[in-house]
Amino acid sequence: MTDFLQLAFAGLSVGAVYALIGIGFVAIFTVSEVINLAQGEFAALSGLIAISAVASGLPLPVAVLVAVASVAVVALLMERLTIAPVKRMTTLTSIILTLGVSTALKAVMLIVWGPNSQGLEAFPGENVTVLGVSIRSQELWILGITAVVAVAVIWFYEQTGWGKALKACAEQPTAARLVGISLARASMLSFLIAGVTGAIAGVAASPVYFTSWDSGLAIGLKGFVAATLGGLVSVRGAVLGGLALGVLESLVAGYVDTGLRDAVAFVVLVVVLVVRPSGVFTRQAVARV
Amino acid sequence: MRRIITFRLAALVAATALTLTACAESESGGESGGDDSGPIKIGAVLDITGAGASLGVPERQTLEMLAQQVNDDGGIGGRELELIIEDNQSTEDGAAKAATKLINEDQVDILLGASRSGPSFAMRPIAEDAEIPMISLAANVQIVDGSEWVFKTAQNDSVVLENIIDLAVEEGWQTLSLIRDSSGYGEGVQEALAELGEPEGIEVVTTEKFAPDASDFTAQMVNVREAGADANIIWGIPPAAALAQQAYRQLNIDAPVIQSHGIGNQVFLDTAGQSADGLLAPLGRLLVADQLPDDDPQKPVIEEFMADFEEEYGEQPSTFAGHAWDGFTIAVQALEEAGTDPQELRDYIENLEGFVGISGVFNFSAEDHSGLDKTALAIVTVENGEWKLVDDNRD
Amino acid sequence: MRLLPSRRSDLIGFGVLIVVLAVFPLLAPPSWVNVGVYALIYAIAAIGLTLLMGLAGQVSLGQASFFAIGAYTQAILVTRYDWSGITAAVVAVVLASLAAFVLGLALLRLRGHYLALGTLGLGIIITVLATESEFTGGTSGIFGIPKPEFNNRTYNSPSEYFWLLVPVVVIGLLVARNIVSSRIGRALGAVNDSEVAAETLGVDTFRLRLQVFTLSAAYAGVAGVFFAHWLAVVNPNAANFPLSVKFLLISVLGGLGTVWGAVIGAFLVEFLDESMSTFIPQVIPGATGEVELLGFGVVLVLLVILLPGGLHQAWQLAVGRIVGRGGGADEAAAAPTARPDPDDSPLFARAGRSEPGSTLLEVRGLTKHFGGVVAVDDIDLEVRTGQILALIGPNGAGKTTCFNMVSGVLTPTSGTVRLAGKRIDGRKPHTFARARATRTFQNLQVFGSMTVLGNVMVGRFLRSRAAMLRGALYFPARAEEAQIARSAYDVVEMVGLGAEARRQATDLPFGRQRLMEVARALATEPDLLLLDEPMAGLSRTERRELALLLRRLRAGGMAIVLVEHDVEAVLALADQVAVLDDGRLIALGTPDEIRNDPAVVAAYLGVDEDDSEAAEAVREMTGGSGGQS
Repeated sequence: MTDFLQLAFAGLSVGAVYALIGIGFVAIFTVSEVINLAQGEFAALSGLIAISAVASGLPLPVAVLVAVASVAVVALLMERLTIAPVKRMTTLTSIILTLGVSTALKAVMLIVWGPNSQGLEAFPGENVTVLGVSIRSQELWILGITAVVAVAVIWFYEQTGWGKALKACAEQPTAARLVGISLARASMLSFLIAGVTGAIAGVAASPVYFTSWDSGLAIGLKGFVAATLGGLVSVRGAVLGGLALGVLESLVAGYVDTGLRDAVAFVVLVVVLVVRPSGVFTRQAVARV
Repeated sequence: MRRIITFRLAALVAATALTLTACAESESGGESGGDDSGPIKIGAVLDITGAGASLGVPERQTLEMLAQQVNDDGGIGGRELELIIEDNQSTEDGAAKAATKLINEDQVDILLGASRSGPSFAMRPIAEDAEIPMISLAANVQIVDGSEWVFKTAQNDSVVLENIIDLAVEEGWQTLSLIRDSSGYGEGVQEALAELGEPEGIEVVTTEKFAPDASDFTAQMVNVREAGADANIIWGIPPAAALAQQAYRQLNIDAPVIQSHGIGNQVFLDTAGQSADGLLAPLGRLLVADQLPDDDPQKPVIEEFMADFEEEYGEQPSTFAGHAWDGFTIAVQALEEAGTDPQELRDYIENLEGFVGISGVFNFSAEDHSGLDKTALAIVTVENGEWKLVDDNRD
Repeated sequence: MRLLPSRRSDLIGFGVLIVVLAVFPLLAPPSWVNVGVYALIYAIAAIGLTLLMGLAGQVSLGQASFFAIGAYTQAILVTRYDWSGITAAVVAVVLASLAAFVLGLALLRLRGHYLALGTLGLGIIITVLATESEFTGGTSGIFGIPKPEFNNRTYNSPSEYFWLLVPVVVIGLLVARNIVSSRIGRALGAVNDSEVAAETLGVDTFRLRLQVFTLSAAYAGVAGVFFAHWLAVVNPNAANFPLSVKFLLISVLGGLGTVWGAVIGAFLVEFLDESMSTFIPQVIPGATGEVELLGFGVVLVLLVILLPGGLHQAWQLAVGRIVGRGGGADEAAAAPTARPDPDDSPLFARAGRSEPGSTLLEVRGLTKHFGGVVAVDDIDLEVRTGQILALIGPNGAGKTTCFNMVSGVLTPTSGTVRLAGKRIDGRKPHTFARARATRTFQNLQVFGSMTVLGNVMVGRFLRSRAAMLRGALYFPARAEEAQIARSAYDVVEMVGLGAEARRQATDLPFGRQRLMEVARALATEPDLLLLDEPMAGLSRTERRELALLLRRLRAGGMAIVLVEHDVEAVLALADQVAVLDDGRLIALGTPDEIRNDPAVVAAYLGVDEDDSEAAEAVREMTGGSGGQS
């Protein structure tokens, strides 16, 4: 039983990271139907920036803020320079664009920070053991931060004017424009949200899961799977999806074969998309007319 | 319609033009080594980026430093030494491409590399096909098994495993668990361990695997904890080996933990932090050079290397840098003594005995292209984040 | 008159390609030839990908998966089981294709992003499987694959291997070109422009895409075989994401509009790769490893923003400036618009049709709900052979929705649709087409990438048979292609578009595009024709001509359902009129009956307000809310 709990908890922790990344996918997709293949790179970049900031003497909280702010700027730049100029955004176009940005970011990280994996200083706290399950303090931070961010994002979308405006853009772009919602601003805001959530994921995860120039790929794709479990349109769905995916991966690695861990996410993806493309954690199967 | 013809025509004309201008350049370059004038060429294929970077980077630094020293001292037999380093990006196909290039285009006299076992496997058939001597810096004995042209300077896994079994016998451990790297580095380890342990009545009760870039080891450690063996062995290189070490401690597994010779660098200590304290590992003497007895034959060689490296790069070299030192110095010695004829070079190395290197004292033979036995490693532990010699292991 | 494009330009192009490739190893420095070998290997895989992305419109981020399957199979069969290279190669390619076929059955139901990411996931799964399995050699993979040997000659130098690859690339390119300009290629091009229209012309989109997916994997498999022999080692990296990205970059850089782009893109990318690996470390000291990714990333982004069509587009723009927009427009301006045949003999009569007057289309209880909205409510209709049924009613009455349900574009919420006695509701549109029925569209669904003739040729899809294999080989399908072109041209002339046959479809004024859609529909030789506002945008004369055409078709025994707002024209033409309002059938009868039906008048036709009696009657009926018009 302890083993099961240990595995499950480890899964929740990594799943929370997937959830944060997944929120970023949902944020952008709901506004512009773009799937941002550079989402994982936001996380990796923020981790590396924070590590450098700490190494140059800044206290940890400041370093974290610097990292998140920097990545937010990068995300905005990405939107303005690469997404906004494209007049006709097709699937292929958006994939190649975001793939290009992702590749370029990876190369920049490789050139600046080198090939090694690095870990950010852990956030303050003690490790604890509960019910025989050994829990690292950073894992508690990850879960806590994810909960706070998720609640904040959901509150934003459902309670604030701008949040509702974003949702309107997603559902009816023309109508939204007609009532005066600027699609450009909505797009920028969505990228901002994606950048911030991705960056937070990166700094929270770095002490435990380590960051390197190419750690964005795996985490980005798993975050995408998490978002898909929520139909790509539901923040709640993405969070639940991320957690579920993390736990499933951990259990498969523990009880079946550790090597199959990475395959889990994609088997889940293919199964979900073929069987229920509207997502598993969504209210009803919505037919796109 | 016309546009389509002209598009293709133009593209092909452009290609032709490009080719023709290129051939103008091609007249220069590509002098062949292997003749009696011009520079002597040593080619090195290293894992400079990717999973093996923590090995490849210090190896490159070592080779560059040593090549400079050789040239400052007048080269080899009066001829300049040209060192050509290629990055295989820690991939097998990168290594194959690089080896092909070094042999076919640069026409090197001798090949060094790769840093890790997997890419070394990929290089072996290329070196053998071309009949150029190759000195690998990697651990897996299969790299040289049955080979005429390939040698290696890192201690074989079997040597490491023999030391571990000796340790087990000494401590009275009867059951062992193995958590190993799933790549070439960890292949064959379980079988070898079981084979060595059998006559001593020692059993490997469970084996777990991890990818070289893994970051979560909960699953593996949970299973290892379940298995409850007398001692547990982690077989990998940093960062994975260090993260595994952390996970091991975090899950409060009481049994003693043994690491492989893959952790012999500062990166491991930095990454593992406090969790490294108390581990045991058969490691190269480089790490505990200052703690060696004064009559240890390797001590002067190691200390000179460490001083040079520290002066050049401002940091301590790792055991992997040591493997590169060995490979390079053996190659240079062979080139000096035997010239550039591949067959003679090969023969020289194969018959080399008593070579005092950083990784140990080498005694090559036709049956043993690795040259090191279990005395090449010392038993080391970690105390307060520093390497501490436990047993000099000369007997 | 020549209707099909000349093959001469193709042949010249291939001739030049062969010469250049043959000469390349002789003139280029050895390092270039080495790069060239990789370029040719990757080009083969990229040709397949261009077919998949450009022709079939499917984005794949997993082309390396099938590349790896081909490479591993070859490696294992040759090193472990000692098979001969050629036999192993055949098995390797078959295996890669088979894998694609099976996986495609599941994956190709996904669309757009989901398909792309599904294929990405596939690549990862294959990498994991290859890493975990002993059989495939784990992380180290399979090594020691020998170089190919034919007639006691081992092909192990870059030049020799390059020459070995040249015929493979040339044939691969040739086959791809043939397919693109074949019946299948045309159908797929149509699907790209308007999937729904292509389906209603009988194109089974899923099946065709699956075929291309399988073929694309075969190309990747061939590339994998050559890769295995050249590299002598195959490991899980052969399936990895960066390689799939490279294939994508090659196809996109060269331009998805032509399969030649794959070859040119491959050379460019490989040389770019090499030069960046040497260049960037010089500019940024200490930078090693996959720094060429920086270049790739930047190139991808710039490409998409500035030049989405790749080099092909760049070339077309450049040539366009020099040559000028020639052809079509001038031709059409010069020649007078040919008027169609003024006689009124029957058209498109077909022996196999049922007796005039017998029921062909039977609709019972047809209903459609969209969430809470009832768009169509319990409609019963019958259409008879040799009869024109007009469907009229205000906007939003549900007419197009009915069409959509009958033709299979939408699934009814309830109700049945029977064509010639067989139920077809809920089946895909190509089933409708195969039952000899077709339709046109209210919102034009023109195949924008084709000429008028091209559009109508797609209409001949069901009346021709050449499958992909015959198309690939070109010669077996040549006669049929000519036949298709000829019959399509006949139909084009019949509706009066003969002079515009070779113009881009989108260059025509809207009304004539509608006419083209009618021609395209007629080309399928249907028994049942659904026309959705075919007269919108036509001049008076053109409307009269269309009406005449419809009469001739009716005389030939076709059943026609016509949605129109030109009420007078429709009432003059139709045998039966059905009136829809708010989703419900409010009247059904002869034109005369309908003209005077008060409900219809109130809902749609409107009434002269000076006629107080009638106005009063209308007010009573509608509860004072007045009629609409």
